[in-house]
Amino acid sequence: MAAAVNTMDYSQLGSDLERQELEFGASPASPLLYCQLLAVYVLQNDLCNAKFLWKRIPLGIKQNCPELVLIWHVVQKMWLKDYAGTYEALQKEWSDDVKNIMLAVEDSVRARALRLVQLAYSNIHANEFATFVGMNVDKAVQAAADAGWQVDNITGILIPKPLDPPAAPPIMNEQHLSVLTQYVTYMEN
Amino acid sequence: MASSLEHYVNMVQTMSSTGNFTQLCDFINKSSDTLAKNASHLDNVYATLDIQQASLGVLGILCVKFSLSNMPDLETTLIQTTEFLAKCNGEHVRYATDNYAELCHKFAQAIIDRKMYARGIAPLVQAIQKIQIHPAQLTSIHSSLCQLCLLSKNLKPALVFLDIDITDISREGGRFDAKDYLLYYYYGGMIYLALKNYERALYCFEIVITTPSVAVSHIMMEAYKKFTLVSLILHGKIISLPKYTPQVLQRYIKPLCQAYMDLAAVYLQNNLADLRMTVTKHTDIFNRDNNMGLVKQCMTSLIKKNIQRLTKTFLTLSLADMANRVQLVSPKEAEKYVLHMIEDREIFATINQKDGMVRFHDNPENFNSPNMLLELDKEMQRCIQLDEKLRDMDRDIAINPQYVQKSSGSHDDDLPGTSGKIQAY
Repeated sequence: MAAAVNTMDYSQLGSDLERQELEFGASPASPLLYCQLLAVYVLQNDLCNAKFLWKRIPLGIKQNCPELVLIWHVVQKMWLKDYAGTYEALQKEWSDDVKNIMLAVEDSVRARALRLVQLAYSNIHANEFATFVGMNVDKAVQAAADAGWQVDNITGILIPKPLDPPAAPPIMNEQHLSVLTQYVTYMEN
Repeated sequence: MASSLEHYVNMVQTMSSTGNFTQLCDFINKSSDTLAKNASHLDNVYATLDIQQASLGVLGILCVKFSLSNMPDLETTLIQTTEFLAKCNGEHVRYATDNYAELCHKFAQAIIDRKMYARGIAPLVQAIQKIQIHPAQLTSIHSSLCQLCLLSKNLKPALVFLDIDITDISREGGRFDAKDYLLYYYYGGMIYLALKNYERALYCFEIVITTPSVAVSHIMMEAYKKFTLVSLILHGKIISLPKYTPQVLQRYIKPLCQAYMDLAAVYLQNNLADLRMTVTKHTDIFNRDNNMGLVKQCMTSLIKKNIQRLTKTFLTLSLADMANRVQLVSPKEAEKYVLHMIEDREIFATINQKDGMVRFHDNPENFNSPNMLLELDKEMQRCIQLDEKLRDMDRDIAINPQYVQKSSGSHDDDLPGTSGKIQAY
């Protein structure tokens, strides 16, 4: 398990933890397991499973494990799509058990928010943009300018750069031809 | 007394080693009375028999233990069953699918009675995987597993099974009941709902309510209520059901779900205030049915649907105007809805914050990209597989002696429709 934490293979870690939890049966698993599994769900943006995990963790463990509660706060804010709240909830001193995961969460939330702004806004106020990416306004504007966005310093309006279309997967011509042949023979039968 | 148990052990061991399983099953079924009379010694017999070599014999003992009216030590039996399900020989127990399923159900029920839900999940997952002939085969154990997953609020273990479309049902020696089938899909629908996979949930509920039936089932009725709500959330109306939907649905079940029919009728008028009034009127019913959460999601979906309708009329619209038209409190709230809908790809639009406007776009997909081609490929492959599966099943029915006899015998009568054929089997 330690190996999975170090190599950052979080989906593997997640399924390992899920299996371990089941092996505990009706007796509660360790607080460490719950913390890590909850953190992995947050990272995967799998809020439904995070919610149900929280619901099934015994009350005693919730009361005695402050870190678990802190991670749950992050889930709550993300559920409400409250970006400012999410970044605030993420600014905690995480223990080594979940530190790497929670840092990765912050990056992935920011990346998703950035993508959303590019997708949804033709222009946006700098301070609102700063909320989305969880930075102070100056830093956010600087980051936007670095990314090649147009910045209007007087009005404080940013014009996001449109998203690049997803890369087209290469199509193997010969392979595709054989697939098409298959279809035709299928249809004729 | 003890000699009869010795006899049992000897018979089980001999017949297991010679591979005489059908006879062994008969013997075990006949021995249940003798075993029950010697209840106090059963743990010794359990310890004597090797789980792997004499799976059927152990299965017989555990079944008898669960059938005792006052089991002396339930905890031991639960541990023994867990051990048995993990270690038994799948080849052997397939000769006694009925007893095997019975054991799993009693095990699940005992766990539910003692509220130790999570404990049953791993054993039942193993149990199903062991007894299935292939992953698309449904057993009656599936429904118990889904129930335990729901009760323990740990839904993922059930998805391994739910995500595979069922093509075959294990008869379990005639033990498999319509109830197991209906419950599996009903619980399955609830699990998908909890994980917000509405498409799949709707599919599960549709299976429940289109199961051929001549009597009203409570499971079907509850499924119909949820089906109505999910259909509204997903499609904005009650989607039409296939022709083979049983008549009882129209005739008896719908009148029993009047509150839901009211809700659907009002929903179609696209007026949020009216919808709220209808919900308030029927609050008691929705709460009693534990469907209030879904009803609330219906209200949110109406707001989204109204925003979607605006895209058909307008190219650009101010957020204030939008808030007005869909009865939201502020332009800021409208912006939030639009943003979430863009994120979920429910509309195509961009927000202009400087002027407080929204510009609607057409779907950017032109269906001419390599990605779309791959998508199409995937769908074609699935259709081909499905077609092959259907042909196989059709062939199986066509060469079934019972079917041949019946269809050639009733040659002069009306030709049986497709649904008739299915009902006959």
